[in-house]
Amino acid sequence: MTAAADGRYRIGVDIGGTFTDGTLVDSETGQVTTSKVLSTPADPGAAFISAVQKLLSMDGGIAPETVEHVVHATTVATNAIIEGKLAKTAFITTEGFRDMLEIARQIRPSLYDLQFEKPAPLVPRQLCFEVPERLDAKGQVVTPLDDAAVDSVVEHIAESGVEAVAVCLLHSYRNPDHEQRVGKALRARLPNVIISLSSDVVPEFREYLRASTTIINASVSPIVSTYLASISEKLLASGISSELLVMQSNGGVYPAEAASQSPVFMVESGPAAGAVAAAALGSALGHPDVISFDMGGTTAKASLIRDGKPHVTKDYSVGGAAQNGTGAFGGASGYPIRTPVVDLVEIGAGGGSIAWVDSGGALRVGPHSAGAEPGPVCYGLGGTEPTITDANLVLGRLDPNYFAGGEMSLDVAGAREAIRKACAEPLGLSIEGAAHGIIEIANTAMVNALRLVSVQRGHDPRDFMLIGFGGAGPAHAVRIAEQAGIPRVLIPLGPGTASALGLLVTDVRMEGSATLIVRSDEVEFSRIASEFERLEAAGAEAHRAAASASGDPTFERSVEMRYWGQSFELSIATPDRREIDDAWMKELIESFHEAHETAYGFRANDEPVELVNLRLTTVGKIARPRMRKLDAGGADASVAEKGERPVYFAENDANASGDGTIGFLQTTVYDRAKLPPGVVFDGPALIEEPDATTVVQPAWQVTVDEYGNLTIEQR
Amino acid sequence: MAGERPDPKLDAIQFEVVRSALVQVAEEMAVALRRSAYSTNVKTRQDFSCAFFDRDCRPIAQAFTQPVHLGSFVELIPTSVKTYGAENLGPGDMLVVNNPFGGGSHLNDVTVFGPVHHEGELVGYVASLAHHVDVGGGAPASIGPFQEIFQEGVIIPPVKLVKNGVISEDIFKLLLAQIRSKRVTSGDFRAQVAANTVGARRLTDLVEKYGIPEFDRYVAAVIDYTDRRTRSEIAAIPDGVYETEGFLDFDGFTDQVVKLKAKITIEGETVFFDFAGCDPQRRAPVNSTKAMTFSACAFALRALMAPDMPVNYGFYRHVRMNAPAGTVVHAVHPAPVVGGWETQVRINDMLFRALAPGMPTKIAAATKAMMAQAGFGIIDRETGEYHCNYEALAGGYGARATSDGPDAVQQHGQNTENAPVEEIESHFPMRVTRLSLIENSEGPGKFRGGLGMRRDYHFPDDPATFTILSDRDIAGPQGIFGGKDGRKAYYILNPEGPDGPNAGVVELTSKCVIELQPGDTVSFQTPGGGGYGPPEERDPHMVLRDVIGGKVNRERAHEFYGVVIDEHTNLVDEAATLKARTLMSNSRELSN
Repeated sequence: MTAAADGRYRIGVDIGGTFTDGTLVDSETGQVTTSKVLSTPADPGAAFISAVQKLLSMDGGIAPETVEHVVHATTVATNAIIEGKLAKTAFITTEGFRDMLEIARQIRPSLYDLQFEKPAPLVPRQLCFEVPERLDAKGQVVTPLDDAAVDSVVEHIAESGVEAVAVCLLHSYRNPDHEQRVGKALRARLPNVIISLSSDVVPEFREYLRASTTIINASVSPIVSTYLASISEKLLASGISSELLVMQSNGGVYPAEAASQSPVFMVESGPAAGAVAAAALGSALGHPDVISFDMGGTTAKASLIRDGKPHVTKDYSVGGAAQNGTGAFGGASGYPIRTPVVDLVEIGAGGGSIAWVDSGGALRVGPHSAGAEPGPVCYGLGGTEPTITDANLVLGRLDPNYFAGGEMSLDVAGAREAIRKACAEPLGLSIEGAAHGIIEIANTAMVNALRLVSVQRGHDPRDFMLIGFGGAGPAHAVRIAEQAGIPRVLIPLGPGTASALGLLVTDVRMEGSATLIVRSDEVEFSRIASEFERLEAAGAEAHRAAASASGDPTFERSVEMRYWGQSFELSIATPDRREIDDAWMKELIESFHEAHETAYGFRANDEPVELVNLRLTTVGKIARPRMRKLDAGGADASVAEKGERPVYFAENDANASGDGTIGFLQTTVYDRAKLPPGVVFDGPALIEEPDATTVVQPAWQVTVDEYGNLTIEQR
Repeated sequence: MAGERPDPKLDAIQFEVVRSALVQVAEEMAVALRRSAYSTNVKTRQDFSCAFFDRDCRPIAQAFTQPVHLGSFVELIPTSVKTYGAENLGPGDMLVVNNPFGGGSHLNDVTVFGPVHHEGELVGYVASLAHHVDVGGGAPASIGPFQEIFQEGVIIPPVKLVKNGVISEDIFKLLLAQIRSKRVTSGDFRAQVAANTVGARRLTDLVEKYGIPEFDRYVAAVIDYTDRRTRSEIAAIPDGVYETEGFLDFDGFTDQVVKLKAKITIEGETVFFDFAGCDPQRRAPVNSTKAMTFSACAFALRALMAPDMPVNYGFYRHVRMNAPAGTVVHAVHPAPVVGGWETQVRINDMLFRALAPGMPTKIAAATKAMMAQAGFGIIDRETGEYHCNYEALAGGYGARATSDGPDAVQQHGQNTENAPVEEIESHFPMRVTRLSLIENSEGPGKFRGGLGMRRDYHFPDDPATFTILSDRDIAGPQGIFGGKDGRKAYYILNPEGPDGPNAGVVELTSKCVIELQPGDTVSFQTPGGGGYGPPEERDPHMVLRDVIGGKVNRERAHEFYGVVIDEHTNLVDEAATLKARTLMSNSRELSN
């Protein structure tokens, strides 16, 4: 598959829980076309292809051979883990450590629950095998690998009928020789079985984390490769023969073949797309420091973007009882993955999150969600518990007759009754007071999520611009910014599908790493240089083999560092010179001290610094589509006015809270499609478009920029 | 379900906003502490806790890390503030304290805490507690069988470690001089100071936003809210007097087991824990401080409540107990206390056992109920630096009314992670040669207990001092309602062959310090959890699953569970199983 030389169009497809979004960009004009179809969870490829066909048939039809490439974000890997539908996989480790997965981290996922369960091991005990061998922490052989024992284990595995095998031997990150020999024996005997070696997938120390990552890679690989093959086939059948690229968790894309081999790198494919979209948009508009806020039907996701790049972490867990998450305490109940993931906090607050009053008389929102079925009460599809969407409706923030562009009308009376019964009455509040409370509590949870990605990483949220998108994001973004002290909010055009656009504004990125674990005063500079060169050669080779959508690769070098004795590393970009000498090292160490001070509030100049891993990212640049400027229109927003209605904004009036007789403000409603660029108007305001409604609080002012984005600033 | 209404004058929404912001303060402290700490015990195993106290020293918000610490904080902070004098603490000051007889626990648990001020007015206190890998005393890692507190390490009354934001070098040097692992320990202290600094900054932001009077009102409301929920949760426990007896197997010196007794009285919205009848304190390391015993009661009560219940003063005020001074549940000067957690955790197990008749579906059968602490010290041949390691191992969990006890997991107030083998081997010249489940160690039952765990420490080239502080030398964790006991613990020098003792090996006790020669190995084998319900009622297919996974062997499946598994088909032989089980229940009836 090669890129069509005359490729003019690029397509991005993002499959979500409820909808599958397609985006097509004309790279000549910058024109963006979107499509939205219902997701088809039983066969996700069906929705994928209908979204693509819908795009091709728009605007009088686009010839399939003019599509340069297709980029895809998918939750197929993460769903397989969460639903436990993994390929049958065997695990091989060092003698004495067969139970590494059973023991895991030996902790309970919930402190006070006597009825807790540990996450079930991803490989059952009878498929975990040991081979006699041992390396020490320096990678030197203590016990040589017993090849005869390996053969017998391989024979056992052959009889068990597995589809994949993961191998993780102790200290293989230092010396992969034993693992490679086991891999060779497996491949010789089982040519059709997926083999993942930990020294290939994540050559980094801490055996359980490396094993878990390797097993997830092996066990989702058959599922992902089958899925991607079927998508490619369907694209071919539609006449699109150009390259299929897949969004990775780190915000870069990689070719479908690479994704089939290393699927553990795409577990957070979907959420990463949103962060990338926000980063690209911010950079294009001259705002490299933004916080991305993506709120959909069941969850809200926040991530921090600095210098135009999403923050990337490796402290991450997937599956288990808790939802996916990053952070030190993010995933005690799930399976750790040590691959770079866009650092995001995901919380259970979406349009469908349910409000309730607990036994201590406190109003709570989530984590339960009414989902798409039965959905919020106001959908009239059988939902009985009030949700965030119901509260927004009761407060006048949504138009009952213009939901989904008017395709669905909403039941206001039903929503009011549900809120009265479940929240207002038990709390002695008015219906509006309770609805307002639901929104405020959900907003607080989201502000906390923003704090987690900013303050907790040493960044002040007030220095950032908030970009709000997703179906529910624009209704909450301004108030959240107000609570978090963020002075400026941006709502992109087409916020409901903005995430899919992220697929078309990123580069091919492939990660490589090498473990050093050596003090800065003991390391040989030539070793750093030769390791980086080796990684570059491998990166260039992988790039040549696969990524034709981009030009010659460039390389980003970084070193994961810590004070000697610590356990958590900070990733530090290396000085921008190839020659590694005393000055280079001094500069690197100074950058580390600074980063440590930013993150944890202190620096220890006299402490030895340790270089743990060298990281190299091979980047194949993909040209960005130009943003299309709108035709200059009139300078008056009144052309877009649809009318007025009362909207509850009690948060700005201390007297109004909890009462309900005051707090409503007469609010102008605008049709976003008709807003001309350059106009400025004050809140309170509602700005409606088919897939979202932007709520502007009274103290804020809206400016429509030349691309149609709404910039909303505190007056 | 809606309960009582909160203070009607209070903004219900603002209340929830402040409540979650307060918890966030403690969580941010925990992240700062963990990520900047040096010892594997703190940074990886998470053996630390963080909390915020109001100006009256009432605990308001905690980061959910180690409940054992959280319970002991409740007594430590007010006692220390009182001893030192609140008026002697200014902005940016921090005290350091570990005094077991002033509200502390064992000496390893060192707390650093300090006041938070806003515009000159005291708002409250932020505190962080870390289990330090060494605090001096008679053995590396400061654990082992001692007879007086003075042998256990440096005793720190509340003294000012940080003055106006600057570490007081004189005190810090004096402290570090008593400690083996100087570099790591000073890193951990710095991390505690950093965590408190983060916490103070966050709190000041909050107070700035609301102003002190408003902030105080919400803090009071958070306590009231928790208080209301606690009372309604206690009221849901059936009234009654629940009693039990138990013992700790070995005190480290004598062959007299340590007798323990507990009586819980539930009456309406009140609960009372009475430990009258427990043995007098010993000149042996099994004495629990009052704060430690309190934390056992707090954990037991909290575990019976709804999962989303906050834990603060509104909850703790309902934990009332009688632990007579001078006994093993309330040690007084100069008793050694380093192994007090062994008594504490055994009490925890007993409390659930006592409550079992009243709430059979809420409790678990006996767990490992020992802290399973292992430490070692090695002196670096080249630099002379003294390295120490400390960790606590998992064991089998007790079975529950509707599910098996999980294998190899921490219990009760203890939830520390294991140290990755590759991590500790990169720090110390030693190797872990085995980390495995112990097959056939489960307490059989309709639902079985979890399997115990084995970890072997091998020192190939260097002499080392190894120390064990644990228990279960005599008996394994008890089964309940007809369930059988789990396998007991074993501590073995230079193990050979299968798990457990055999000819030619030396069995160690649960409380010992031993000098190892190069080439020696210590095998630490923790107990399996107790079973729940008669084993012959276990679903035969669950037995089969255990046999296929190698967790339980065929002989055991037949002997304990009456399940016969066909050797050729690997399926349950239904007819033979029925026969075996009929025999089992007949003989059970006969013996009754």
